Amino acid sequence: MISPQSKNYLQSNRKRLALFQDEVAFLMGKRGGAKISRYERFELEPGLRTALAFEVIYKRSVSELFDGLYHEVEKEIAKRAKILNHRKDRKPRETAARKRETLNALATA
Amino acid sequence: MNQKIPKHPRILAIALTTVGVGFAIFEGREVLVNWGVKTIEGDKNSMSVLRIKDLIAQYQPNLVVLEETSAYGTKRSSRTQALTKKIVALVKRDKIQVRLFSATEIRKAFFPEGEGTKQEIAEIIAKRFPEELAHRLPPKRRAWQREDTRMGIFDAVALALMITFKPFPARSKSGKRIQEAKL
Repeated sequence: MISPQSKNYLQSNRKRLALFQDEVAFLMGKRGGAKISRYERFELEPGLRTALAFEVIYKRSVSELFDGLYHEVEKEIAKRAKILNHRKDRKPRETAARKRETLNALATA
Repeated sequence: MNQKIPKHPRILAIALTTVGVGFAIFEGREVLVNWGVKTIEGDKNSMSVLRIKDLIAQYQPNLVVLEETSAYGTKRSSRTQALTKKIVALVKRDKIQVRLFSATEIRKAFFPEGEGTKQEIAEIIAKRFPEELAHRLPPKRRAWQREDTRMGIFDAVALALMITFKPFPARSKSGKRIQEAKL
């Protein structure tokens, strides 16, 4: 579905499970809910371990939880894939063809 | 006011209550992104405006939906009416579209052929968003009880659904209420 994505859906998922920010923080082994609040308000991007912890708690994939951010990253990679695709390649023909396939797929994502 | 609504708008619906502000945020007409009640103490109107400003800054909606509090026959306090005007002015200043619906319009949309209660509207909404809202559905209010704070959430969601409206055939042709509304 095409929609104007939020950077993340942490708050809706927490509310869906009737959890408080402090409780999520406790589950993650953090001290208070302040950091969770900052993640939810898009003020802070979590590290890999925290992102995975969100996946474990909310039972949603990281790309789903951070849908807007995922699409931002996807666009950036598509842009770079186009650039890389136009560069000259010294690799053997078969490898180059496979690589071009990969880059085309990324560029059109 | 008559601008076209985008195909996949981000909608902020605001329901003003006696304790503060109920809100719901939708993305693309179907996805409920956030909801809640912001309880406000002290100067309710100016604090409410601040809270709404925060929500607008965070979610940057294309459309804000409110209850029409000055419609003929509406029983809303002068405080709520003044607050509605303030919010409309604020939203228009930010060049965001605004839609106002009266309580009667909402009730008619949910129950086209007859009367339904707010509780019944809340139950329909809880069925439509079971994961998100079923556990927030307040118990039926007794005549001597005040309205549950959580009702603000359901009021706000009902307002947002007025935009998407593919409503809710809540009654059969015979006028008998259908339990399972097709959602």
